[in-house]
Amino acid sequence: MGIYDIAFWILTVIAIGCALGVILSRNPINSVLFLIATFFAISGHYLLLNAQFLAIVNIIVYAGAIMVLFLFVIMLMNLNADVEPQKGRLVQLAGVVSGGALLLVLLAALRTAKYPTLESTPNEIGLIQNLGEVLFTQYVLPFEISSVLFLSAMIGAIVIGKKEDSTHSA
Amino acid sequence: MNILMLVATNTPFNYFPVVLQLVVAVGFVVVMMAATHLLGPKRRTKDKLINFESGIPAIGNARQPMGIKYFLVAILFVLFDVEVIFFYPYAVNFKSLGLEGFYAVLLFVAFFFCGFYYIIKKGALEWED
Amino acid sequence: MKAIIAATILGIVMMFAGLQMKNKSSVVTLAIVLAFLLLGVNIWDLVATPATAPVGYFNNMLRIDRYALWFSTLMTGVTVLYTLLVGKEIQKVGVHVAEYFALIFFILCGVYILSCYNNMLMLFLGIEILSIPQYILAGSDKKNLKSSEASLKYFLMGAFSTGILLMGITLLYGATGSFNIVAYSFLQSDALNPLALGGVIFVMIALGFKVSAAPMHMWTPDVYDGSPTPFTAYMATVVKASAFFAFIRLFQVSFGSISSQWTVVLSVITAATLLIGNLTAVFQQSVKRMLSYSSIAQAGFMLFAVLAVNAVAWQGIIIYAVAYSIATIGIFTVLMKLKDYTYDGFNGLAKKEPLLAFVTTIFLFSLAGIPLTGGFMAKYYVIQAVMVQNQFLWLVIFGLLMAAISVYYYFRVIIAMYFKEGNAELHAPVTQGEKVLLVITCGLVILIGIFPQLLLSWI
Repeated sequence: MGIYDIAFWILTVIAIGCALGVILSRNPINSVLFLIATFFAISGHYLLLNAQFLAIVNIIVYAGAIMVLFLFVIMLMNLNADVEPQKGRLVQLAGVVSGGALLLVLLAALRTAKYPTLESTPNEIGLIQNLGEVLFTQYVLPFEISSVLFLSAMIGAIVIGKKEDSTHSA
Repeated sequence: MNILMLVATNTPFNYFPVVLQLVVAVGFVVVMMAATHLLGPKRRTKDKLINFESGIPAIGNARQPMGIKYFLVAILFVLFDVEVIFFYPYAVNFKSLGLEGFYAVLLFVAFFFCGFYYIIKKGALEWED
Repeated sequence: MKAIIAATILGIVMMFAGLQMKNKSSVVTLAIVLAFLLLGVNIWDLVATPATAPVGYFNNMLRIDRYALWFSTLMTGVTVLYTLLVGKEIQKVGVHVAEYFALIFFILCGVYILSCYNNMLMLFLGIEILSIPQYILAGSDKKNLKSSEASLKYFLMGAFSTGILLMGITLLYGATGSFNIVAYSFLQSDALNPLALGGVIFVMIALGFKVSAAPMHMWTPDVYDGSPTPFTAYMATVVKASAFFAFIRLFQVSFGSISSQWTVVLSVITAATLLIGNLTAVFQQSVKRMLSYSSIAQAGFMLFAVLAVNAVAWQGIIIYAVAYSIATIGIFTVLMKLKDYTYDGFNGLAKKEPLLAFVTTIFLFSLAGIPLTGGFMAKYYVIQAVMVQNQFLWLVIFGLLMAAISVYYYFRVIIAMYFKEGNAELHAPVTQGEKVLLVITCGLVILIGIFPQLLLSWI
């Protein structure tokens, strides 16, 4: 077991454990903190894949900006009243069984799968320089089109997020 | 030393110092907190365990929904944050991408500028009361 | 290609128009003019592109062929009709009228991308550009709790399905090492790769969600019912049709060679969609909710086209998309005029507004698939596509049975209008202009029913 494997397994255990913590913890603030820990673990995975740019971006955008938004949303909620509807045992069981069945099928299928393009050693494809080169030449169209997505998100922030003036509302 | 050279020869092991620093930083905090807990004297009287609220008696608890004026700004920040992140790969490849890359980024920024102008005009960044 | 750029720019123009124009009705007029402009750009694109082999653009990110151009043009045409018919109602939804139209233009941008994408990344972007404006439009009636619920539900479920789509794309990339949908060669490898098959199933589930196919349909009634009615009309028509076009494009062009692997799964999905959509629609009391279930049922018929991997299926999806969209927009336009959305709200409409009742009848005939209407021809083509494939005969019979059931709930509205006493209350009297538009829409439905070849002549 090389140092890569050890690091991989540690990060994997952290990532999956914290992801479970997100959905299992009762307190939403704890969920958010677990989610941040998950993001850090995944950033560690990116580092192992030699994709440093993605690792840093993951921390800046997800663990930094988006998690702050999550915390804001939690602050907007009223946590005093226990309004979370409790699903019945049967529904929970059905969910676990169907999810588990999917996992089993996927595991069984992927166990026999061949990975024709798998590389055993980290290469330099994830480095910021290569990423930038591909992004601005081969994938320049998706890059530009994504700005439409951002524009609609801005409109959404205005339409849904902004308080409407009482003088305007009809 | 040229920073680009460093990037080009990067492997995950180059991040070992960062990990080391992380371990030291987290370790320091953990050790200090544990030490104060273990070493410091504890007198748990009833009055000392009450939440301190500027000297007046506490009313209710902190679990209240609160309006956040900053929310809209935070949402918009995320969008522009993502925009800025696209600049890093461009900046690294600035020379090799040439004019074509410049136009691509220019168009992207132009779209964002339209959005920015729109947001400003809509008054989304104003501090409303 | 030109249309994608034009739709983006016109969307931005609409955004800025919202800053300048304070008068709501002038915003609507501008939107109608811009929609016509966009239609013009589409037609220009269609005429200027020679009918040769598909052309790849931007490193094969897009591959533009006649089907794509013609479908974009038709959907733009439907949007023009939509803005003409529904524009007035959009004014009433909220204060940000210009933004709603800007979002509709952005949705159209997504429609164009989905009609000519050639790369999984573009599929993902197209689906997102199609979806995110919809989440916003669903929640645009902020004072209405149901609208907010619809938006939140749609967003959460949609984000989840996007995750599934990305998982599928990842598996496909892992198996083939490519994002290019025409470069996928599943048959060349010595055995069918389970990795790729898993990817196909995940992508099928995610796209099935977007078109509200049966086990993934749960969001549809609440979202369609809760959203402001003008936007429901758009979601149920143009958006759903283009999601279907993306579906068929991927599953014919790319996964067509391994169709024996996925058609069984899809046939079960189709049957379930038909069954759940039609049976649940029977028990609805609100016409708006009935229409949302009927849109699930119609999705079941459109899935026939995806199921049949042949050229007739392409024609079928185009005719179905247009016939269904026009009829549905028409019926939603009538619905918006009424105060009461239940069946009782239609009571006695024939006496009060004979013309309105008549066009509603034609639209319902079309949805039910009565001959001489567009809906009949649409069903004819998609069923023929499956018959040509000479497979799934049971599904065709089942589909016909379900179509018979659908007649029941569509005709309930007609019975309410013509044979029940009552006083159908309208929001406002129907103007002459609206009547003319409704008659034109109705004429289009019948025209497609008689000359379906008109819709195929440009391919």
